[in-house]
Amino acid sequence: MQTPAHAGRLITPAMVGVALVLLTVPLWIAKVGLYQYIGVEILIWAIYALGFNLLLGTAGLPSFGHGAFFGIGAYAFGLTQFHVAANLWVCLLGGILAASLAGALVAGFVARRRGIYFAFLTIAFGQVFWFIAMKARNVTGGEDGLLPIARLPADFGIVSFDLTGNTALYFFVLALFLVTVVALWRLTYSPFGRVLSAIRQSELRAAHLGYQVVLFKMLAFIASAAFAGLAGSLFAMAQGGAFPEVMALHYSGYIVMMVLVGGGLVSFWGPVIGVVVFLLARDLLGAVTLTWMLWFGLLFVAVILFKPEGIAGVFQDLRRRFSRQPAQAQPAARSTP
Amino acid sequence: MFTLIPFLINGLTLGLLFALIALGFMLIVGVMEQINLAHGSLFALGAYVAYALLGPPLPLPVGVGEWWAGLPLGLRYVLALVIAPCIVGLLGILIEQGMRRTYGKDPLFGLLLTFGAAMVIEDVIRSVWGTRDYILPTPDAISGGFIALNLIWSTYRFFAAFAAAVFILLTWLLIERTRFGAVIKAGAHDSEMVRALGYDLAKLRIAVFAIGTMLAAAAGVIMAPIWGIRPHMGVDAVIPAFLIIVLGGVGSFWGAVIAGLMVGMVIGLTAAYASEWSLLSMYILLIVVVTFRSRGLFGKKSILEA
Repeated sequence: MQTPAHAGRLITPAMVGVALVLLTVPLWIAKVGLYQYIGVEILIWAIYALGFNLLLGTAGLPSFGHGAFFGIGAYAFGLTQFHVAANLWVCLLGGILAASLAGALVAGFVARRRGIYFAFLTIAFGQVFWFIAMKARNVTGGEDGLLPIARLPADFGIVSFDLTGNTALYFFVLALFLVTVVALWRLTYSPFGRVLSAIRQSELRAAHLGYQVVLFKMLAFIASAAFAGLAGSLFAMAQGGAFPEVMALHYSGYIVMMVLVGGGLVSFWGPVIGVVVFLLARDLLGAVTLTWMLWFGLLFVAVILFKPEGIAGVFQDLRRRFSRQPAQAQPAARSTP
Repeated sequence: MFTLIPFLINGLTLGLLFALIALGFMLIVGVMEQINLAHGSLFALGAYVAYALLGPPLPLPVGVGEWWAGLPLGLRYVLALVIAPCIVGLLGILIEQGMRRTYGKDPLFGLLLTFGAAMVIEDVIRSVWGTRDYILPTPDAISGGFIALNLIWSTYRFFAAFAAAVFILLTWLLIERTRFGAVIKAGAHDSEMVRALGYDLAKLRIAVFAIGTMLAAAAGVIMAPIWGIRPHMGVDAVIPAFLIIVLGGVGSFWGAVIAGLMVGMVIGLTAAYASEWSLLSMYILLIVVVTFRSRGLFGKKSILEA
């Protein structure tokens, strides 16, 4: 991943732009033929994808079992709500904590592995958690899911916001999305993120420079599991329940597809683009044909074969082409006088 | 102790079947160091094609359909076991044509490419056959059951385990005892030298991929009467397949067969105590083995570790 402009800032112009656009979404989303809930869903999956890209795009570790942490976040949110306290903040913390702990457990096993072996082991762990979610019926509700999970009010002491409506939930998720963006931006371009980038390029070289590669890989894994847990918690609240489906191999693969199609390998914003394209394709293509995955799968195959940098990579190429023309014009302008 | 014997026999047959499921996956990963994540979907496709051949008559041109349906089921079954892998093998060649663009790159690209291909194949299956379950008819000679040790055993299961053993032996002969096998193994080891000796490596790779996908389809046809034909069978097959390869060690033929038998045994024995949780045991077996032996039981060094 190239270092973008403003990498050292806390808040960049791009973030402000994205935030302003997203703030206006509830005003026009119904008018373009969509519905409020898709906005909530896109933001939740964007949190998940951004956290996942810390692992895939920055550290170069292909996890094929990340759905497990998303699912664990969802179940933990529900179980905290039922058995500990029906408070939004406690439940969100429960979801993030449970996913981080599961992430730490898995990281302990996989952090010494690379490449395909890393992918294989994460598949195995993902399947273990999925299997447990399916079979531990008295805890998780099995295939029927954990129901009913309430949309708790966001209580700030003085004011309390009711999140039962999709628009209110949208603004709440948007706030958390922006926090995630800032946190991951700082993490990706911090010294910590630089080391992860170095590990992606050459694990051996990073180790020889004296970095504790295994520790960095573990921390990246846990951090990305924590964001998956946050997204999973929000998803449980949005859906009103937690279901094992999102933990299955397919969904763990979908998140990889989203991040790669969007261009997570070359751009911080790639995962967000990928999520928007994936979910809109699901709804718009899904309305026309039952086999929308066939078309999205073909798009994915084409991206892998011809443009592994994804949609963000295409944008970068275009920008480079347009910015080169003024750059070529400059010396000519200098030579004329 | 005697109560465990049925579970042991079950585990043994299951192990052979698992080894059969992993066979095509193993051939491609062992010889070409490429992960074919579409293995499961091709396995499922093989079963569905066999169903099209053996199930209700197809909407073929007048005469052909009746002629085909008029053949005895036993003959049609044997023909299906040949035709379904051939059709799937053609698709495998198509996948290889795309996959060759990823050779020499990170093996992750091949894995992702075949994951995308798996999604596409699964949706094709879903749009042609729907999401309902089908049952593959089997000839009378190998269906039904018999009684032994005061238990009812399924004849088909033993036929399938026998077929699995035959396929394993044939694949072993192909890789280890033929000139073709020697050349493809040499190609994986030192592709430049093999090219310099005048072999067309591109054609060899197509052949390996075609055989690997044909084995996937054959396994699908053989497993179909046991598992039933449903869209999820692809995932049910690809997970044990990759698990067995990692457990046995990439590049080791007998490692994969032994790992298949181990997985079958472990599932068979845990089924005796906690039937619902028995599938979990294979994941735990993998995690334990790989924690202590990072290349699996008999694994050699491979570029996949990079």
